Amino acid sequence: MNNGILEINRLIARSETRVMRQEESTSERRRKEATLAALYDEYYERIARYVFVRLRDWAEAEDLAGEVFLKALESLDSYKERGIPMQAWLFKIAHNMVVDHFRKTAKRKTVPIDNVQITAESDLQRTAEANIELARVNKAVEQLTPVQRRVIELRFFGELTSEEAGQVLNKRAGAVRELQSAAIRRLRKLLCEES
Amino acid sequence: MSKSFDDILDECVDRINRGESIEDCLGSYPEHSEELQPLLSAMLDTQRAYKFTPSAEAKWAARQRFNAAREQLERRWEAKPPLFPRLLGRPVAWVAVTALLLIFLISYFGIIPILSPEEPGLQPSAAGNFAFLISDEVNAIGDFDSLSISISSIGLHLSGESGRWVKLDPEVQVVDLALLQGDRAQEIWRGDVPEGQYTKVFIRVSSVSGILKKTGESVNVKLPGEKLHISKPFEVTSSSETNFVYDLTVIATGSTQSGIKYILKPQVGQSGADQRFELINGKGADGRGQDRGPKPPRVTPSAPSSGIQIPDACEIQESGVVSSAMAY
Repeated sequence: MNNGILEINRLIARSETRVMRQEESTSERRRKEATLAALYDEYYERIARYVFVRLRDWAEAEDLAGEVFLKALESLDSYKERGIPMQAWLFKIAHNMVVDHFRKTAKRKTVPIDNVQITAESDLQRTAEANIELARVNKAVEQLTPVQRRVIELRFFGELTSEEAGQVLNKRAGAVRELQSAAIRRLRKLLCEES
Repeated sequence: MSKSFDDILDECVDRINRGESIEDCLGSYPEHSEELQPLLSAMLDTQRAYKFTPSAEAKWAARQRFNAAREQLERRWEAKPPLFPRLLGRPVAWVAVTALLLIFLISYFGIIPILSPEEPGLQPSAAGNFAFLISDEVNAIGDFDSLSISISSIGLHLSGESGRWVKLDPEVQVVDLALLQGDRAQEIWRGDVPEGQYTKVFIRVSSVSGILKKTGESVNVKLPGEKLHISKPFEVTSSSETNFVYDLTVIATGSTQSGIKYILKPQVGQSGADQRFELINGKGADGRGQDRGPKPPRVTPSAPSSGIQIPDACEIQESGVVSSAMAY
Protein backbone atom coordinates (compact mmCIF):
# COMPACT_ATOMS: atom_id res chain seq x y z
CA MET A 1 0.00 0.00 0.00
CA ASN A 2 2.77 2.36 1.09
CA ASN A 3 4.77 1.40 -2.00
CA GLY A 4 1.79 2.24 -4.19
CA ILE A 5 1.43 5.69 -2.60
CA LEU A 6 5.18 6.30 -3.00
CA GLU A 7 4.98 5.32 -6.66
CA ILE A 8 2.06 7.74 -7.24
CA ASN A 9 4.01 10.50 -5.46
CA ARG A 10 7.01 9.80 -7.70
CA LEU A 11 4.82 9.96 -10.79
CA ILE A 12 3.33 13.25 -9.69
CA ALA A 13 6.79 14.69 -8.92
CA ARG A 14 8.09 13.57 -12.32
CA SER A 15 5.20 15.09 -14.21
CA GLU A 16 5.50 18.28 -12.16
CA THR A 17 9.15 18.53 -13.21
CA ARG A 18 8.13 17.99 -16.82
CA VAL A 19 5.51 20.71 -16.58
CA MET A 20 8.02 23.12 -15.00
CA ARG A 21 10.51 22.41 -17.80
CA GLN A 22 7.82 23.04 -20.41
CA GLU A 23 6.88 26.30 -18.71
CA GLU A 24 10.53 27.39 -18.57
CA SER A 25 10.94 26.52 -22.22
CA THR A 26 7.80 28.49 -23.15
CA SER A 27 8.88 31.56 -21.21
CA GLU A 28 12.40 31.34 -22.66
CA ARG A 29 10.90 31.10 -26.14
CA ARG A 30 8.69 34.12 -25.49
CA ARG A 31 11.69 36.10 -24.22
CA LYS A 32 13.68 35.26 -27.34
CA GLU A 33 10.73 36.18 -29.57
CA ALA A 34 10.43 39.54 -27.84
CA THR A 35 14.16 40.18 -28.33
CA LEU A 36 13.90 39.29 -32.01
CA ALA A 37 10.86 41.53 -32.50
CA ALA A 38 12.70 44.38 -30.78
CA LEU A 39 15.64 44.00 -33.18
CA TYR A 40 13.39 44.14 -36.23
CA ASP A 41 13.23 47.88 -36.84
CA GLU A 42 16.94 48.48 -36.40
CA TYR A 43 18.24 45.42 -38.18
CA TYR A 44 15.85 44.93 -41.09
CA GLU A 45 17.52 47.74 -43.04
CA ARG A 46 21.04 46.70 -42.10
CA ILE A 47 20.39 43.14 -43.18
CA ALA A 48 18.76 44.33 -46.40
CA ARG A 49 21.87 46.45 -47.13
CA TYR A 50 24.18 43.56 -46.29
CA VAL A 51 22.23 41.28 -48.61
CA PHE A 52 22.04 43.95 -51.33
CA VAL A 53 25.83 44.27 -51.46
CA ARG A 54 26.02 40.56 -52.16
CA LEU A 55 23.06 40.14 -54.51
CA ARG A 56 22.94 43.65 -56.01
CA ASP A 57 19.24 43.30 -56.41
CA TRP A 58 16.94 45.63 -54.52
CA ALA A 59 13.82 43.55 -54.58
CA GLU A 60 15.65 40.34 -53.65
CA ALA A 61 17.45 42.13 -50.82
CA GLU A 62 14.17 43.44 -49.41
CA ASP A 63 12.57 40.02 -49.68
CA LEU A 64 15.49 38.13 -48.22
CA ALA A 65 15.81 40.53 -45.28
CA GLY A 66 12.20 39.73 -44.37
CA GLU A 67 12.88 36.02 -44.84
CA VAL A 68 15.83 36.24 -42.45
CA PHE A 69 13.50 37.29 -39.63
CA LEU A 70 11.00 34.56 -40.49
CA LYS A 71 13.78 31.97 -40.53
CA ALA A 72 15.08 33.29 -37.21
CA LEU A 73 11.61 33.02 -35.71
CA GLU A 74 11.33 29.40 -36.88
CA SER A 75 14.76 28.52 -35.54
CA LEU A 76 14.56 30.35 -32.21
CA ASP A 77 14.77 27.07 -30.31
CA SER A 78 18.23 26.49 -31.69
CA TYR A 79 19.43 29.94 -30.65
CA LYS A 80 21.38 29.89 -27.40
CA GLU A 81 21.23 33.15 -25.51
CA ARG A 82 24.63 32.59 -23.96
CA GLY A 83 26.24 32.01 -27.35
CA ILE A 84 26.44 34.92 -29.73
CA PRO A 85 24.27 38.06 -29.62
CA MET A 86 21.05 37.72 -31.56
CA GLN A 87 22.02 40.41 -34.09
CA ALA A 88 25.15 38.45 -35.01
CA TRP A 89 23.05 35.30 -35.29
CA LEU A 90 20.73 37.12 -37.71
CA PHE A 91 23.68 37.91 -39.97
CA LYS A 92 24.74 34.26 -39.87
CA ILE A 93 21.25 33.35 -41.07
CA ALA A 94 21.44 36.09 -43.71
CA HIS A 95 24.78 34.73 -44.94
CA ASN A 96 23.41 31.18 -45.17
CA MET A 97 20.35 32.40 -47.03
CA VAL A 98 22.48 34.33 -49.52
CA VAL A 99 24.59 31.20 -50.08
CA ASP A 100 21.39 29.18 -50.57
CA HIS A 101 20.12 31.79 -52.96
CA PHE A 102 23.25 31.52 -55.08
CA ARG A 103 23.06 27.75 -54.95
CA LYS A 104 19.47 27.83 -56.14
CA THR A 105 20.16 30.23 -58.94
CA ALA A 106 23.17 28.03 -59.82
CA LYS A 107 25.39 30.93 -60.63
CA ARG A 108 25.86 34.33 -59.15
CA LYS A 109 23.04 36.49 -60.29
CA THR A 110 24.51 39.41 -62.14
CA VAL A 111 22.60 42.52 -62.84
CA PRO A 112 24.44 44.61 -65.40
CA ILE A 113 25.86 47.51 -63.47
CA ASP A 114 24.50 49.93 -66.06
CA ASN A 115 21.02 48.72 -65.33
CA VAL A 116 21.17 48.93 -61.55
CA GLN A 117 18.74 51.51 -60.33
CA ILE A 118 20.66 53.74 -57.98
CA THR A 119 18.04 56.15 -56.79
CA ALA A 120 14.40 56.83 -57.39
CA GLU A 121 15.32 60.26 -58.69
CA SER A 122 14.86 61.02 -62.32
CA ASP A 123 18.13 62.87 -62.51
CA LEU A 124 19.76 60.87 -65.28
CA GLN A 125 23.15 62.49 -64.94
CA ARG A 126 23.36 61.74 -61.24
CA THR A 127 22.18 58.21 -61.83
CA ALA A 128 24.80 57.69 -64.49
CA GLU A 129 27.50 59.03 -62.18
CA ALA A 130 26.33 56.78 -59.39
CA ASN A 131 26.44 53.80 -61.78
CA ILE A 132 30.00 54.60 -62.73
CA GLU A 133 31.00 54.95 -59.08
CA LEU A 134 29.30 51.67 -58.19
CA ALA A 135 31.14 49.90 -61.02
CA ARG A 136 34.44 51.32 -59.77
CA VAL A 137 33.87 50.35 -56.14
CA ASN A 138 32.42 47.01 -57.11
CA LYS A 139 35.50 46.14 -59.14
CA ALA A 140 37.71 46.99 -56.18
CA VAL A 141 35.62 45.02 -53.67
CA GLU A 142 35.64 41.98 -55.95
CA GLN A 143 39.43 41.91 -55.73
CA LEU A 144 39.51 41.56 -51.94
CA THR A 145 39.96 38.10 -50.47
CA PRO A 146 36.64 36.41 -49.56
CA VAL A 147 37.21 36.86 -45.85
CA GLN A 148 38.23 40.51 -46.25
CA ARG A 149 35.08 41.06 -48.27
CA ARG A 150 32.93 39.54 -45.54
CA VAL A 151 34.56 41.71 -42.90
CA ILE A 152 33.84 44.79 -44.99
CA GLU A 153 30.26 43.70 -45.65
CA LEU A 154 29.58 43.07 -41.97
CA ARG A 155 31.33 46.22 -40.74
CA PHE A 156 30.33 48.75 -43.42
CA PHE A 157 26.84 47.56 -44.33
CA GLY A 158 25.71 45.36 -41.47
CA GLU A 159 27.27 47.96 -39.14
CA LEU A 160 28.25 45.25 -36.69
CA THR A 161 31.06 45.86 -34.23
CA SER A 162 34.30 43.93 -34.66
CA GLU A 163 33.28 41.70 -31.77
CA GLU A 164 29.94 40.91 -33.40
CA ALA A 165 31.52 40.44 -36.83
CA GLY A 166 33.99 38.06 -35.17
CA GLN A 167 31.10 36.08 -33.74
CA VAL A 168 29.55 35.75 -37.19
CA LEU A 169 32.88 34.71 -38.73
CA ASN A 170 34.06 32.57 -35.78
CA LYS A 171 37.08 34.79 -35.34
CA ARG A 172 38.50 36.86 -32.49
CA ALA A 173 37.74 40.57 -32.54
CA GLY A 174 41.47 41.27 -32.85
CA ALA A 175 41.67 39.12 -35.96
CA VAL A 176 38.69 40.98 -37.44
CA ARG A 177 40.40 44.33 -36.76
CA GLU A 178 43.54 43.14 -38.54
CA LEU A 179 41.54 41.81 -41.47
CA GLN A 180 39.56 45.05 -41.61
CA SER A 181 42.69 47.16 -41.62
CA ALA A 182 44.23 45.11 -44.43
CA ALA A 183 40.96 45.17 -46.38
CA ILE A 184 40.56 48.95 -46.18
CA ARG A 185 44.18 49.56 -47.18
CA ARG A 186 43.75 47.27 -50.18
CA LEU A 187 40.42 48.85 -51.03
CA ARG A 188 41.98 52.29 -50.90
CA LYS A 189 44.79 51.21 -53.22
CA LEU A 190 42.43 49.54 -55.68
CA LEU A 191 40.06 52.52 -55.71
CA CYS A 192 42.93 54.86 -56.46
CA GLU A 193 44.07 52.60 -59.29
CA GLU A 194 40.55 52.47 -60.70
CA SER A 195 40.16 56.23 -60.68
CA MET B 1 48.86 51.22 -22.96
CA SER B 2 48.50 53.09 -26.25
CA LYS B 3 46.11 51.86 -28.89
CA SER B 4 47.36 50.13 -32.00
CA PHE B 5 46.55 51.70 -35.35
CA ASP B 6 44.17 48.84 -36.16
CA ASP B 7 42.25 49.59 -32.97
CA ILE B 8 42.08 53.30 -33.79
CA LEU B 9 40.86 52.58 -37.32
CA ASP B 10 38.30 50.17 -35.89
CA GLU B 11 37.04 52.81 -33.47
CA CYS B 12 36.73 55.32 -36.31
CA VAL B 13 34.75 52.83 -38.43
CA ASP B 14 32.35 52.39 -35.50
CA ARG B 15 32.06 56.16 -35.00
CA ILE B 16 31.32 56.77 -38.70
CA ASN B 17 28.72 53.99 -38.62
CA ARG B 18 27.12 55.85 -35.72
CA GLY B 19 26.94 59.03 -37.79
CA GLU B 20 30.10 60.93 -36.84
CA SER B 21 32.19 62.57 -39.54
CA ILE B 22 35.73 61.69 -40.63
CA GLU B 23 36.86 65.04 -39.19
CA ASP B 24 35.51 64.13 -35.75
CA CYS B 25 37.63 61.03 -35.73
CA LEU B 26 40.73 62.70 -37.15
CA GLY B 27 40.38 65.32 -34.43
CA SER B 28 40.62 62.62 -31.79
CA TYR B 29 43.81 61.19 -33.30
CA PRO B 30 45.71 64.08 -34.93
CA GLU B 31 48.96 62.10 -34.84
CA HIS B 32 47.39 59.48 -37.14
CA SER B 33 45.23 61.78 -39.25
CA GLU B 34 47.42 61.55 -42.34
CA GLU B 35 47.18 57.77 -42.39
CA LEU B 36 43.57 57.57 -41.25
CA GLN B 37 42.06 60.10 -43.64
CA PRO B 38 42.44 58.18 -46.95
CA LEU B 39 41.34 54.92 -45.36
CA LEU B 40 38.19 56.43 -43.89
CA SER B 41 37.49 58.15 -47.22
CA ALA B 42 37.71 54.75 -48.92
CA MET B 43 35.21 53.45 -46.38
CA LEU B 44 32.78 56.27 -47.10
CA ASP B 45 33.20 55.88 -50.89
CA THR B 46 32.34 52.20 -50.57
CA GLN B 47 29.31 52.83 -48.37
CA ARG B 48 28.04 55.56 -50.67
CA ALA B 49 28.44 53.47 -53.81
CA TYR B 50 26.25 50.70 -52.41
CA LYS B 51 23.81 53.12 -50.83
CA PHE B 52 20.49 51.37 -50.54
CA THR B 53 17.47 51.94 -48.34
CA PRO B 54 14.70 49.38 -48.51
CA SER B 55 11.31 50.82 -49.37
CA ALA B 56 8.93 51.55 -46.52
CA GLU B 57 6.32 49.34 -48.22
CA ALA B 58 8.64 46.34 -48.36
CA LYS B 59 9.65 46.86 -44.75
CA TRP B 60 6.04 47.19 -43.65
CA ALA B 61 4.96 44.12 -45.59
CA ALA B 62 7.85 42.07 -44.19
CA ARG B 63 6.98 43.22 -40.68
CA GLN B 64 3.35 42.18 -41.21
CA ARG B 65 4.49 38.74 -42.37
CA PHE B 66 6.76 38.49 -39.33
CA ASN B 67 3.94 39.47 -36.97
CA ALA B 68 1.57 37.00 -38.60
CA ALA B 69 4.14 34.20 -38.31
CA ARG B 70 4.75 35.13 -34.69
CA GLU B 71 1.06 35.04 -33.96
CA GLN B 72 0.74 31.66 -35.64
CA LEU B 73 3.65 30.29 -33.62
CA GLU B 74 2.14 31.65 -30.45
CA ARG B 75 -1.07 29.77 -31.16
CA ARG B 76 0.90 26.60 -31.87
CA TRP B 77 2.83 27.03 -28.63
CA GLU B 78 -0.31 27.51 -26.65
CA ALA B 79 -1.67 24.28 -28.06
CA LYS B 80 1.61 22.39 -27.61
CA PRO B 81 1.83 21.37 -23.93
CA PRO B 82 -0.01 18.10 -23.47
CA LEU B 83 -2.99 18.50 -21.24
CA PHE B 84 -2.79 15.25 -19.32
CA PRO B 85 0.62 15.68 -17.64
CA ARG B 86 -0.41 19.21 -16.71
CA LEU B 87 -3.53 17.99 -15.01
CA LEU B 88 -1.82 15.02 -13.42
CA GLY B 89 1.01 17.20 -12.13
CA ARG B 90 -1.32 19.82 -10.67
CA PRO B 91 -4.22 18.69 -8.55
CA VAL B 92 -5.33 22.33 -8.47
CA ALA B 93 -5.77 22.08 -12.21
CA TRP B 94 -8.53 19.53 -11.66
CA VAL B 95 -10.43 22.18 -9.74
CA ALA B 96 -9.88 24.65 -12.57
CA VAL B 97 -11.01 22.13 -15.18
CA THR B 98 -14.13 21.36 -13.17
CA ALA B 99 -14.83 25.07 -12.81
CA LEU B 100 -14.35 25.58 -16.55
CA LEU B 101 -16.68 22.69 -17.30
CA LEU B 102 -19.28 24.23 -15.04
CA ILE B 103 -18.87 27.62 -16.69
CA PHE B 104 -19.17 25.96 -20.07
CA LEU B 105 -22.35 24.14 -19.09
CA ILE B 106 -23.85 27.28 -17.62
CA SER B 107 -22.91 29.25 -20.71
CA TYR B 108 -24.23 26.58 -23.02
CA PHE B 109 -27.59 26.31 -21.38
CA GLY B 110 -28.04 29.76 -19.94
CA ILE B 111 -26.18 32.34 -21.95
CA ILE B 112 -25.79 32.73 -25.69
CA PRO B 113 -22.10 33.24 -26.45
CA ILE B 114 -21.40 36.65 -27.90
CA LEU B 115 -19.48 35.30 -30.84
CA SER B 116 -17.60 32.15 -31.62
CA PRO B 117 -15.76 31.03 -34.74
CA GLU B 118 -18.35 28.35 -35.44
CA GLU B 119 -21.10 30.87 -35.11
CA PRO B 120 -21.90 32.70 -38.34
CA GLY B 121 -21.48 36.46 -38.46
CA LEU B 122 -24.38 38.88 -38.27
CA GLN B 123 -27.10 38.17 -40.78
CA PRO B 124 -27.27 40.60 -43.66
CA SER B 125 -30.51 42.35 -44.49
CA ALA B 126 -31.59 44.49 -47.42
CA ALA B 127 -32.30 47.54 -45.28
CA GLY B 128 -29.76 47.86 -42.53
CA ASN B 129 -27.99 50.64 -40.69
CA PHE B 130 -24.60 49.61 -42.06
CA ALA B 131 -23.00 48.76 -45.39
CA PHE B 132 -19.45 47.56 -45.96
CA LEU B 133 -17.84 48.37 -49.29
CA ILE B 134 -14.55 47.55 -50.96
CA SER B 135 -12.68 50.02 -53.17
CA ASP B 136 -9.23 50.30 -54.72
CA GLU B 137 -6.92 53.30 -54.74
CA VAL B 138 -5.07 53.55 -58.03
CA ASN B 139 -1.41 52.56 -57.72
CA ALA B 140 -0.27 49.54 -59.71
CA ILE B 141 -3.77 48.29 -60.46
CA GLY B 142 -3.30 49.53 -64.03
CA ASP B 143 -0.94 46.56 -64.59
CA PHE B 144 -3.80 44.13 -63.99
CA ASP B 145 -6.49 42.83 -66.24
CA SER B 146 -8.16 41.45 -63.15
CA LEU B 147 -7.22 41.19 -59.49
CA SER B 148 -9.67 39.05 -57.59
CA ILE B 149 -9.55 38.82 -53.84
CA SER B 150 -11.57 36.44 -51.70
CA ILE B 151 -12.78 37.91 -48.44
CA SER B 152 -13.88 35.29 -45.94
CA SER B 153 -14.84 37.53 -43.03
CA ILE B 154 -15.05 41.09 -41.81
CA GLY B 155 -14.47 42.24 -38.22
CA LEU B 156 -15.56 45.53 -36.65
CA HIS B 157 -14.20 46.48 -33.25
CA LEU B 158 -16.78 48.05 -30.98
CA SER B 159 -15.22 50.48 -28.52
CA GLY B 160 -16.36 50.94 -24.96
CA GLU B 161 -16.52 48.51 -22.11
CA SER B 162 -17.52 45.49 -24.17
CA GLY B 163 -14.63 46.03 -26.57
CA ARG B 164 -15.90 43.12 -28.60
CA TRP B 165 -15.52 42.34 -32.26
CA VAL B 166 -18.57 42.18 -34.46
CA LYS B 167 -18.13 39.57 -37.14
CA LEU B 168 -19.74 39.83 -40.58
CA ASP B 169 -19.79 37.12 -43.24
CA PRO B 170 -19.60 38.93 -46.57
CA GLU B 171 -22.50 38.38 -48.96
CA VAL B 172 -20.12 38.95 -51.84
CA GLN B 173 -16.94 37.05 -51.16
CA VAL B 174 -14.95 37.64 -54.34
CA VAL B 175 -14.32 41.11 -55.68
CA ASP B 176 -12.27 42.23 -58.65
CA LEU B 177 -10.20 45.25 -57.61
CA ALA B 178 -9.55 46.14 -61.25
CA LEU B 179 -13.20 47.17 -61.45
CA LEU B 180 -13.06 49.23 -58.27
CA GLN B 181 -10.53 51.91 -59.09
CA GLY B 182 -10.74 55.40 -57.67
CA ASP B 183 -14.13 56.22 -56.14
CA ARG B 184 -15.75 53.05 -57.45
CA ALA B 185 -16.78 50.74 -54.65
CA GLN B 186 -18.62 47.46 -54.32
CA GLU B 187 -20.92 46.64 -51.45
CA ILE B 188 -20.13 43.26 -49.94
CA TRP B 189 -22.31 43.35 -46.82
CA ARG B 190 -25.38 45.23 -45.70
CA GLY B 191 -27.43 44.77 -42.59
CA ASP B 192 -27.88 45.86 -39.00
CA VAL B 193 -24.92 46.09 -36.67
CA PRO B 194 -25.03 47.18 -33.02
CA GLU B 195 -25.10 50.93 -32.53
CA GLY B 196 -21.98 52.55 -31.15
CA GLN B 197 -18.49 53.81 -31.81
CA TYR B 198 -16.22 51.47 -33.75
CA THR B 199 -12.47 51.87 -33.73
CA LYS B 200 -10.95 49.20 -35.94
CA VAL B 201 -11.81 47.11 -38.94
CA PHE B 202 -10.24 44.05 -40.47
CA ILE B 203 -10.92 41.90 -43.47
CA ARG B 204 -9.68 38.34 -43.69
CA VAL B 205 -8.40 37.70 -47.21
CA SER B 206 -8.23 34.03 -48.04
CA SER B 207 -6.78 34.28 -51.54
CA VAL B 208 -5.62 36.72 -54.18
CA SER B 209 -5.46 36.03 -57.89
CA GLY B 210 -4.13 38.53 -60.39
CA ILE B 211 -3.94 38.45 -64.20
CA LEU B 212 -1.52 40.86 -65.84
CA LYS B 213 -2.71 43.02 -68.71
CA LYS B 214 0.53 42.83 -70.69
CA THR B 215 1.07 39.10 -70.69
CA GLY B 216 -2.29 37.68 -69.71
CA GLU B 217 -0.43 35.53 -67.19
CA SER B 218 -1.36 35.10 -63.57
CA VAL B 219 0.98 36.76 -61.11
CA ASN B 220 1.66 36.22 -57.44
CA VAL B 221 0.40 39.09 -55.30
CA LYS B 222 1.75 39.07 -51.78
CA LEU B 223 -0.36 39.72 -48.74
CA PRO B 224 1.21 41.18 -45.62
CA GLY B 225 -0.97 38.85 -43.60
CA GLU B 226 -4.24 36.99 -43.77
CA LYS B 227 -6.00 39.68 -41.77
CA LEU B 228 -5.66 43.23 -42.99
CA HIS B 229 -6.32 45.64 -40.13
CA ILE B 230 -6.93 49.34 -40.20
CA SER B 231 -7.72 51.77 -37.40
CA LYS B 232 -10.43 54.10 -38.61
CA PRO B 233 -13.02 55.15 -36.07
CA PHE B 234 -16.63 55.54 -37.15
CA GLU B 235 -20.07 55.59 -35.61
CA VAL B 236 -23.15 53.52 -36.32
CA THR B 237 -26.56 54.76 -35.23
CA SER B 238 -30.01 53.32 -35.76
CA SER B 239 -31.33 56.58 -37.21
CA SER B 240 -28.92 56.78 -40.14
CA GLU B 241 -27.08 54.55 -42.55
CA THR B 242 -23.29 54.20 -42.34
CA ASN B 243 -21.38 53.20 -45.44
CA PHE B 244 -17.86 52.08 -44.58
CA VAL B 245 -15.47 51.97 -47.54
CA TYR B 246 -12.46 49.69 -47.04
CA ASP B 247 -9.85 50.73 -49.54
CA LEU B 248 -7.20 48.34 -50.79
CA THR B 249 -4.33 49.11 -53.08
CA VAL B 250 -1.80 47.04 -54.92
CA ILE B 251 1.73 48.40 -55.10
CA ALA B 252 4.64 47.29 -57.26
CA THR B 253 8.18 46.95 -55.93
CA GLY B 254 11.43 45.99 -57.61
CA SER B 255 12.62 46.86 -61.07
CA THR B 256 12.02 45.53 -64.54
CA GLN B 257 15.50 43.98 -64.43
CA SER B 258 15.03 42.10 -61.19
CA GLY B 259 11.33 41.48 -61.62
CA ILE B 260 8.31 43.39 -60.39
CA LYS B 261 6.62 42.14 -57.25
CA TYR B 262 3.14 43.11 -56.20
CA ILE B 263 1.92 43.65 -52.66
CA LEU B 264 -1.66 44.17 -51.60
CA LYS B 265 -2.21 46.47 -48.63
CA PRO B 266 -4.97 48.45 -46.97
CA GLN B 267 -5.10 52.15 -47.73
CA VAL B 268 -6.05 53.87 -44.50
CA GLY B 269 -6.31 57.37 -45.93
CA GLN B 270 -8.90 56.31 -48.48
CA SER B 271 -10.88 54.11 -46.08
CA GLY B 272 -13.61 55.07 -43.68
CA ALA B 273 -17.22 56.04 -43.28
CA ASP B 274 -16.54 59.52 -44.61
CA GLN B 275 -15.31 58.50 -48.06
CA ARG B 276 -17.11 59.46 -51.24
CA PHE B 277 -17.79 56.51 -53.49
CA GLU B 278 -19.54 55.51 -56.64
CA LEU B 279 -21.41 52.28 -56.10
CA ILE B 280 -21.01 49.74 -58.84
CA ASN B 281 -23.22 46.74 -59.55
CA GLY B 282 -23.17 44.65 -56.41
CA LYS B 283 -22.53 41.31 -58.10
CA GLY B 284 -19.18 39.88 -57.13
CA ALA B 285 -16.80 37.94 -59.31
CA ASP B 286 -18.42 34.79 -58.00
CA GLY B 287 -21.78 35.89 -59.34
CA ARG B 288 -23.31 36.30 -55.91
CA GLY B 289 -24.40 39.44 -54.16
CA GLN B 290 -27.19 41.82 -54.85
CA ASP B 291 -27.62 44.44 -57.46
CA ARG B 292 -28.82 47.55 -55.75
CA GLY B 293 -27.87 49.98 -58.46
CA PRO B 294 -25.96 53.21 -57.99
CA LYS B 295 -26.50 55.26 -54.87
CA PRO B 296 -25.52 58.83 -54.15
CA PRO B 297 -22.39 59.14 -52.09
CA ARG B 298 -23.02 59.92 -48.48
CA VAL B 299 -20.90 61.37 -45.79
CA THR B 300 -21.00 60.18 -42.23
CA PRO B 301 -19.03 62.04 -39.57
CA SER B 302 -16.17 60.07 -38.11
CA ALA B 303 -13.16 60.56 -35.91
CA PRO B 304 -9.78 61.20 -37.55
CA SER B 305 -7.65 58.36 -38.86
CA SER B 306 -5.00 56.91 -36.63
CA GLY B 307 -3.09 54.99 -39.26
CA ILE B 308 -2.48 51.37 -40.12
CA GLN B 309 -2.84 49.03 -37.19
CA ILE B 310 -0.17 46.40 -36.86
CA PRO B 311 -1.90 43.55 -35.06
CA ASP B 312 -0.77 43.64 -31.46
CA ALA B 313 -2.52 44.24 -28.18
CA CYS B 314 -5.98 44.20 -29.62
CA GLU B 315 -5.55 41.24 -31.91
CA ILE B 316 -8.81 39.36 -32.30
CA GLN B 317 -9.07 35.84 -31.00
CA GLU B 318 -10.94 33.15 -32.85
CA SER B 319 -13.70 33.49 -30.26
CA GLY B 320 -14.23 37.05 -31.33
CA VAL B 321 -13.09 38.78 -28.18
CA VAL B 322 -10.03 40.90 -27.65
CA SER B 323 -6.99 38.81 -26.86
CA SER B 324 -4.29 39.51 -24.33
CA ALA B 325 -1.47 41.84 -25.28
CA MET B 326 1.37 40.77 -27.54
CA ALA B 327 3.93 43.48 -27.11
CA TYR B 328 6.34 44.18 -29.93
